[in-house]
Amino acid sequence: MSYAAILIPDFSLHALCRAEVGLAQKPVGLSHGTGRQATLTEVSAQTGLSTGLNVTLALARCPGLIVRSRNLPAETEAQRILLAAAFTLSPRVESTAPGCATIDLQGTGRPSTEAALHLRLAELGALGLPAHAGIAASPLMAFYAARHTDSMHWVEDLSSFLRDLPLDAADPTPAQLEVLTGWGIRTLGQLTALTKSDVGLRLGTAGAALWERAAGETTRPLRLVSPPQTFVAEWVYEPPIEQLEPLTFKLQRYAERIAAELRAAGFVAEALRLSLQLEDESEHGREFRLPEPSADVASWLRVVLTHLETVRLAFRLQRVRLVAQPARPTQRQDGLFDTGLRDPAAFWENLARLEALLGPDRVGTPITNDTHRPDAFTLGRPIETVTVAEPAPLHPTRGLVLRRFRPAWSVAVTLSAASPTFITGTLTGPVTHSAGPWLTAGDWWKPEAWTLETWQVEIDQAIYQLSRTAAGWFVEGVFD
Amino acid sequence: MDTRFPATTRKPCGLVATGIAKIDDVLGGGLPTGKLTELVSPRAGSGGQLAQTQILAATRRARQRVALIDAADAFAPDRAIPDHLRHLVWVRPTGINDALAATDVLVRDGNYGIILLDLRGSPAAELKRIPATRWHRLHRAAESSPAAILVQTTQDLVPAVTWRLSLEGAALWSDRRCPQLTLLQQLKVAIVRGPILAREELAG
Repeated sequence: MSYAAILIPDFSLHALCRAEVGLAQKPVGLSHGTGRQATLTEVSAQTGLSTGLNVTLALARCPGLIVRSRNLPAETEAQRILLAAAFTLSPRVESTAPGCATIDLQGTGRPSTEAALHLRLAELGALGLPAHAGIAASPLMAFYAARHTDSMHWVEDLSSFLRDLPLDAADPTPAQLEVLTGWGIRTLGQLTALTKSDVGLRLGTAGAALWERAAGETTRPLRLVSPPQTFVAEWVYEPPIEQLEPLTFKLQRYAERIAAELRAAGFVAEALRLSLQLEDESEHGREFRLPEPSADVASWLRVVLTHLETVRLAFRLQRVRLVAQPARPTQRQDGLFDTGLRDPAAFWENLARLEALLGPDRVGTPITNDTHRPDAFTLGRPIETVTVAEPAPLHPTRGLVLRRFRPAWSVAVTLSAASPTFITGTLTGPVTHSAGPWLTAGDWWKPEAWTLETWQVEIDQAIYQLSRTAAGWFVEGVFD
Repeated sequence: MDTRFPATTRKPCGLVATGIAKIDDVLGGGLPTGKLTELVSPRAGSGGQLAQTQILAATRRARQRVALIDAADAFAPDRAIPDHLRHLVWVRPTGINDALAATDVLVRDGNYGIILLDLRGSPAAELKRIPATRWHRLHRAAESSPAAILVQTTQDLVPAVTWRLSLEGAALWSDRRCPQLTLLQQLKVAIVRGPILAREELAG
């Protein structure tokens, strides 16, 4: 049985830098305590400072130092990203401590686990959470291994691994450390050279427990956590914001976490719901049907930001809620003679861009409705693969093709022997030829029942389609 | 320049067949990809919409995707064969500016065989106000596009276009009952503007 531990050193600092704009590249320190007693608990590498330093002294040594206290919501988010990474390796995961997750690797092979762990560490690093990993036979030893490596360490020989570790590695109390240092003991190997009973006799049960930890004999069951069932992020701006930039930054950060959780659960997002709550408690909501279900944050943001760039809000933005609707990734195999998309991402992004530019009902593939009602169609989602065309219709299509006027031109029609002879209005002129009427009706069982009388008329050497409804006469279009 | 430096001025380009024999013959096989071609239908009944419908049918058979930017919102899907709409992305802008902006987006997309920009039915005054720089931008964008761009107009509009064809005929009342294939054979296609070499070859 083996366990893996993923550990993010300086977790609170990294979580903070990830959550605030522009902190990642600056010297930052986390302080604990107030006033003159405040000390640095975690510092970024750019400062050149060490932890435990008094804040006043630290500011004197590093004038550009940004001192912040812990950001607990940011740590919660970072921990969820860490757990999402852990869930990709095994469903048995423990949230051991802030910045540490332990994974039960039972049933997994070493080569695949090592490769997957390297990948997860790289992904966490790309998300601003550089992590280390350790694999060992017990959760505690995996944690020790993660803590004492710069990338990943697989403990094969436990005794040789523990032998050279410093005494601090087994987390002794200050009193124990003082006594053992006095005995000349500096490493775990030197401690375990003594017998457990001798150490227990002199340092009590706490000493015996320390010896067990140093010898790697401690084991415990994992306190397993469940993967998330919903994929939601909600955050508040205090004070409320007016610009798009801080919203974009947070959207990306929270979307990264949601995408990580979706990937861990084997899902992709098929739709995103964004709710913006304003200062006056009003809400602006919009659902984005993703053109291609995916867990790719960049493609999500392109769709969402294309819309947000066109939005003008009356009040400042106070609260944001982002919900991803999960779906299973689509899997299909195209036919031999089908033509797929050369660049699916560009295709769907450009359609989303056009929808943002023109409106949602202005772009799509026309689908004729199953009715004889004229101009009845809906705009559907374009197909990804152009399949082989159906055979040509048996009866050839006749005549020129209608170009519609939308809206139809309202006209007055003079009739002679029940046939149109002169038209007045947007189109004016004598009718030189006419054909009709064709009477159609439909939806008689619905409130929107319709009846139509259609004519084809020639005016000034052009052929038009004329129709009469309950509302009057209309020129519907011209044949071209 | 074209005569003195033929190798540098003429880039190899593909052709997308329109399915209209008279137009394909004039263009040497079809609409050239990476270029704008203008098809002028000066009057209703000259066959511009018939040509558009035929292009939809031909590209459907060739399994090529088509974008139709319909500035006047005049396309009638209920008059087309449903199968001929499956590969179509119909864009319905609310004005000429939106139509050009949408074309600019679609020309840069590499997934279309033909992009049809239908400006017929738009106010002539607004069409004349389109700055030449917008057409120049479209020309430049088209150069790197695998699609053929066909602009349908009612009068000469696009500057520096490689091919400008005009449909000179007019429908008769009796044509209402003619099969469309017969009407396509009766189309009168005139070259208003074309590459010098092509024009010389055709002339002589």
